[in-house]
Amino acid sequence: MPSLADLQRGMRRSLLLGDAAIAALIVEDGIAPAVRLGIHRSTFGAVATRALRLNHPAVAKLVGDDFFEGAARAYVAKRPPASAWLDGYGAGFAGFLASFAPAANLDYLADVARLEWSVSRALHAPAACALDAHALASLAALDPARQSAVRFTAHPSLRLLRTRAPADAIWRATLASDDQALAAIDPHAGPRWLLVARGAPGIEVVALSERAWRFTCDLAAGRSLQQALARVGDDRTGGALPIERFDPAALLGAHLAAGRFTAFRVTDALRAADPLRATDPSQEILR
Amino acid sequence: MLEHPTPLRGTGSRTPPRLPGIGSPIPDDAGIGLRFQHHREVLDTRPRVPWFEVHSENYMGGGAAFACLDALRHDYPVSLHGVGLSLGSADALDRAHVARVRDLVAQIEPGLVSEHLAWSIVDDTYLADLLPLPLTEEALDVVCGHVDEVQAALQRSILIENPSSYLRFAHSTIPEWEFMAAVASRTGCGILCDVNNLYVSACNHGFDADRYLAALPKAAIGEFHLAGHATRELPGDRTLRIDDHGSRVCEAVWALYGQALERFGPRPTLIEWDTGVPALEVLLDEAATAQQAIDRAIEGLRDRADRPQFATQRPPHARAAGPAHAFAR
Repeated sequence: MPSLADLQRGMRRSLLLGDAAIAALIVEDGIAPAVRLGIHRSTFGAVATRALRLNHPAVAKLVGDDFFEGAARAYVAKRPPASAWLDGYGAGFAGFLASFAPAANLDYLADVARLEWSVSRALHAPAACALDAHALASLAALDPARQSAVRFTAHPSLRLLRTRAPADAIWRATLASDDQALAAIDPHAGPRWLLVARGAPGIEVVALSERAWRFTCDLAAGRSLQQALARVGDDRTGGALPIERFDPAALLGAHLAAGRFTAFRVTDALRAADPLRATDPSQEILR
Repeated sequence: MLEHPTPLRGTGSRTPPRLPGIGSPIPDDAGIGLRFQHHREVLDTRPRVPWFEVHSENYMGGGAAFACLDALRHDYPVSLHGVGLSLGSADALDRAHVARVRDLVAQIEPGLVSEHLAWSIVDDTYLADLLPLPLTEEALDVVCGHVDEVQAALQRSILIENPSSYLRFAHSTIPEWEFMAAVASRTGCGILCDVNNLYVSACNHGFDADRYLAALPKAAIGEFHLAGHATRELPGDRTLRIDDHGSRVCEAVWALYGQALERFGPRPTLIEWDTGVPALEVLLDEAATAQQAIDRAIEGLRDRADRPQFATQRPPHARAAGPAHAFAR
């Protein structure tokens, strides 16, 4: 008599790999065990691929049902879900698509998948209260020296990602079924610096300038305003950043108005006043 | 021990309790499974539904679905029905998932929490289906141990649902009805009697649905489920009934439900629909049919209490519910 563990491993091999050994344990009663097992194999495949589709609707639309089904099934076979929380399934799908040979000529596909994964994470992030009017008033009332030492806590839904292709434009046009807009996009137009968050009206995907994006990353990572400002003006962060209109006060105002931060604290004045101490990210424990 | 919800017997009112809504027990009335397609409509129109049940796994995390449920729980009793704890796994429970269920239960304060007699996880792979167990002493020990763990983690009793199944293992030694009863008696959990599952499995495996019902302990029955199923014709004139929750409840299942009500008395009853989810009004219509059966059962109990001389006589409406269902084979 097989142990429960052996039986369950046999079922796994049957559903995932088509291994037939488990059939020997199943009562036939006029219906082949393979037919009985097929019901479960088909449910498993359908549920897992549907979870990937729900988390990557634009990718599915871009490549069409058959292609998506093929890619999803190949991914499921390689990296089946580990937990019943299927909203969290598909972390590796973008990476998988990047090296999925049949999609090799769609070099923007993996970027769209990465954006969709960020959107999905934002959708399912825990709820949190954004800084309210009262908190913002107390922030505004701080004297300027203390303001520069403020560190924020990002909303749990906030995601910042960099894509090589204009994934946001492709994503938006695809979900809107706007073929004209899609045709007008140059997939090789260069990198995009994206912010994804869940606000009161829903999910927002915002393209930022590189400088604004880096500044936002630093704030989201828990660096003080002063540190973030110092780093964004610091050539070491990425060589010569493009000279652009960059208004940190306006950007911060937009972040606060959109509810992208949930808390702030004023750090030790001495430490915050010494930007040199905090500019090496490898030495700083963030958050 | 399981606490049964207080029956709202004889009020004749389908109005959801307004105060206090949160944490309300689930009434012995017919509720519906709330699906995403109906979130907006239910939020906007607040239909007269005595209670809602949702799939726990769809409300983990803090997104729009959770916000909807969090809003509705103020006005309706809510039941959380899980599909992912994999109580029958030989492996240890997925601690992270138990924690997610625990957090959701703490946030939603549901009237009932339920799970399945099934397994889905082995070697860190979630096989995305409610898979059948070999009904052995080993499996019984495993399931009871995991039910104990979950009840300890949630600090409350849960209900365990009888499965629908398409295959049996040759080395099973315990009839499913005895297995269900044993889990309830050993762990103190309740039983979610899914009448459609019972019918589907009885047809697929040729066992006697009446005998199944008779073996379940009345005091443990905490809820009924009703749903539609599909029929797959196979070569050799064989049929497998597939529990797809994709149609109205069939006549045979209504009849079996009538028998269950007569045997166990009124209990919270749920209309489930997951494949090709129809308009909300279709679900409400199915729930109304279930409610009529519950009301008839309550009348029957009252008649028997009022007129003890007729206690052994079946009330006419029970006969009207139709003959005992015939197996399709």
